Amino acid sequence: MGSSGSKLEKALGDQFPEGERYFGLENFGNTCYCNSVLQALYFCVPFRDQLLDHASRTKVSGDADDNLLTCLSELFTQINSQKKKTGVIAPKRFIQRVKKQNELFRSYMHQDAHEFLNFLLNELVDILEREATASSKPTSGQVHPDKLANGTANGTANGNHHHSVVTWVHKIFQGTLTNETRCLRCETITARDETFLDLSLDIEQNSSITSCLRNFSSTETLNAEDKFFCDKCCSLQEAQKRMKIKSPPRILALHLKRFKYIEQLGRYKKLSYRVVFPLELKLCNTTDDAPGSEAEYSLFAVVVHVGSGPNHGHYVSLVKSHNHWLFFDDENVEIIDESVVQTFFGSTQEYSNNTDHGYILFYESLEQKH
Amino acid sequence: MAAPNSQSPSVRTHFKTPEGRYKLSHEKTHPTSLLHYSHGKTITQVTLAHLKDKPLQTPSTSSSSSSTGGVGARFSAARLLGTGNGSRGLVFGGGNGFSGRLTGGAKSTTVSTGGAGVSNGPLASSYDGEGTFLIFNVGDAIFVSDCNSQDKDPIKCLHFGNANPICHTYDPDAKDGHDLLIGLTSGDVYTASLRQQLQDPGKKLIGAMHYNKDGAINSSRCTSVAWVPHSDGLFVVSHADGNLYIYDKNKDGSGDVPFPPVKDLAQFSVAHARSSKSNPIARWHICQGSINEIAFSPNGMYLAAVGRDGYLRVFEYAKEQLTCGSKSYFGALLCCAWSPDGKYVLTGGEDDLVQVWSMEDQRVVAWGEGHNSWVSAVAFDPYWVAPPSGESGESVTYRFGSVGQDTQLLLWDLAMDEVVVPLRRLGGTLSGSPAFREPGAQSARWESVQPVGILHPAPVRKEVPKLAPIMAHRVHAEPLSSLIFTKESILTACHEGHVKIWDRPGVQGCSPARNSDSADVSSKEKLQPAKSGLSQFKQ
Repeated sequence: MGSSGSKLEKALGDQFPEGERYFGLENFGNTCYCNSVLQALYFCVPFRDQLLDHASRTKVSGDADDNLLTCLSELFTQINSQKKKTGVIAPKRFIQRVKKQNELFRSYMHQDAHEFLNFLLNELVDILEREATASSKPTSGQVHPDKLANGTANGTANGNHHHSVVTWVHKIFQGTLTNETRCLRCETITARDETFLDLSLDIEQNSSITSCLRNFSSTETLNAEDKFFCDKCCSLQEAQKRMKIKSPPRILALHLKRFKYIEQLGRYKKLSYRVVFPLELKLCNTTDDAPGSEAEYSLFAVVVHVGSGPNHGHYVSLVKSHNHWLFFDDENVEIIDESVVQTFFGSTQEYSNNTDHGYILFYESLEQKH
Repeated sequence: MAAPNSQSPSVRTHFKTPEGRYKLSHEKTHPTSLLHYSHGKTITQVTLAHLKDKPLQTPSTSSSSSSTGGVGARFSAARLLGTGNGSRGLVFGGGNGFSGRLTGGAKSTTVSTGGAGVSNGPLASSYDGEGTFLIFNVGDAIFVSDCNSQDKDPIKCLHFGNANPICHTYDPDAKDGHDLLIGLTSGDVYTASLRQQLQDPGKKLIGAMHYNKDGAINSSRCTSVAWVPHSDGLFVVSHADGNLYIYDKNKDGSGDVPFPPVKDLAQFSVAHARSSKSNPIARWHICQGSINEIAFSPNGMYLAAVGRDGYLRVFEYAKEQLTCGSKSYFGALLCCAWSPDGKYVLTGGEDDLVQVWSMEDQRVVAWGEGHNSWVSAVAFDPYWVAPPSGESGESVTYRFGSVGQDTQLLLWDLAMDEVVVPLRRLGGTLSGSPAFREPGAQSARWESVQPVGILHPAPVRKEVPKLAPIMAHRVHAEPLSSLIFTKESILTACHEGHVKIWDRPGVQGCSPARNSDSADVSSKEKLQPAKSGLSQFKQ
């Protein structure tokens, strides 16, 4: 541990960014799903800043209401305030809290990193909303414009629909999709907005993330069993539907649906498809009038699933910090060349020695930075 | 009809275009037993080489070729490699001794049926005649295949050992023997005579000049190599650290006078060698991050370079000046190619787009949308003849192709009205972009601020005219890396080192064994285009 730390310091030399800490996270028995996501979030600078800020505020006010938010902000503060530049930290209290809060993560089974990310962000939103409503007068608090009644179609957008307060988690991760349905009889377009904290994308062999996003927003025809109830026609009608991004998020989290339920097998299977993702990205599936539709995103973290099946394996993460790429594997931290990122695209063949595949991608908007 | 060498059953062996059906003629590959562990790390590139007819003469002329300029230097390099005169003996032995089994030359290609063992055995042919050869890299080796033979296996394999060859090119007009140029992952560069390699039975490069030895001048990966057109032996090598070097093959490669460090990594700068003896003779620092491909305009006046930072840069080569350029929509640019008339530059990259840059208009005039992944190679079809206009009133002026990591080959037609009319219409809306030059005072002021070289920012999506491919076909099972148009065919290659040769409509396979059969089929197809069209789009 210590040796790997000093190796990293040696590798960076005087280029070691000031005030930055690169710490591995101890694994408490299959908690790599958690560690990999935590590292990605720690290097999501606006997210980290909020948590550090939160920690300093609660310290001042003294109310240490133990919850996931306080545990996470404590962990981030602990990393951030280390005297050493590199090393290993045991996120014990945080993991305990996660296990207490959600029985899904209580076992020592292999867990899904994306489910964990979802759980964590939603949990933080809940806590922040409760705090906001408790501290402010009953009438205040920003009312979120798009309150939604319906769930998402296909469950593809992992939105959070019941909130009424815009928390900093929303400001960082939330984007808006607009779901346009055009009745083929009366041509009326019904638009329905929904928010998301990340996007789950279907993947294809030998494709790019751009192509996955395009497919996500491709036009779908609703017919036969799956007709659309048109309010104007007052009946079920054939319709065309498409989902575009109306307001792009500041941090774009893209989840590649690598674990697919195969009906014939009666179980989930891992898709090892090669899906290339560029270090810079623009969204091709925004509405024409979307603000920031030409905004450029920059990749800063990748959660990688290692292994050939969905029920076992390992998670690691790649993180870009101050123009260096780092590889986090539980306790270990290494510096890697930018060109190594492309070894995590996936495999062109089903059975391959390479089982390290990009699973969750984190892009940061370059436009909203300043 | 089963294709002779179909590597994957799901890949169809023909595709249809307005001018007719392209059909898989044959494939070239490498023996899997030779696969190196590093195989996955290299990407196969393909170079096409036409050896011109050279009648069998006395050994001395056939080896040292006509020019005298580079001979001394070459042999000194050969001695350095430890092959020197010994190899000379081998060359002649190869040239004369092994001419028995196959007779070289394109017209009289014979089919070798066995095809299992490669390159190790005695070379079958005398390579003093003319011929067309495919040069491609896999792992630590360069393979050479006879393009006109149906044989799947290469006729020659050159191993490089420590570093992998990853880029190469061939100069058909080379005056002395050195026509083959190879760049390695270690930064090392070699020039050699292709004919000499073919005449030698060994598995090592012989009679070669070695430059940037062990990366003495630049140890980053070579990314692209090019002969300077009409220059009598100058060549350019680009590297992964954003530098490119100009070498003179007529000079000894040993002069390793270091260049001063690049002052500003973000700026274009040129440094000349301090001594007239040293080689390379100049270094151009082009950009931060890798240069991914370079290409000279056909007349040699301009050099285009694309790279990691997403910019296409066009330089006036002789003046060492940045002339123009523009940025990808997003992400790195991976490839570039000139139109035969030098008016357009194609680029392809990580935005899944093929961009058409007009030298005349100094802007991106079209976006080709159709790939589902990164675009890895682009090329104009120089043999394309536009169909007579009038029928549809649309005059097609250019045909180009692109291959991508989505395993697809796409063909595109660039029509004049598509390019010109939308631009005129869009002129007004383009004014928001600093790229757009408006007449009048504004333009004058703007030009006074900008230096001669101008790089345009990424175009706005709505403002660029879009092109759709006329044909999209999945040609390999693996991501593609190379695309070449020849008179008779289209050549595609994938990352893993398989090359496919697709005959143009009306071209018959060159194999005598298949000729009778395939001639039959192709004539039938011509009679029933509708039917073949149906089967094409089924699935």
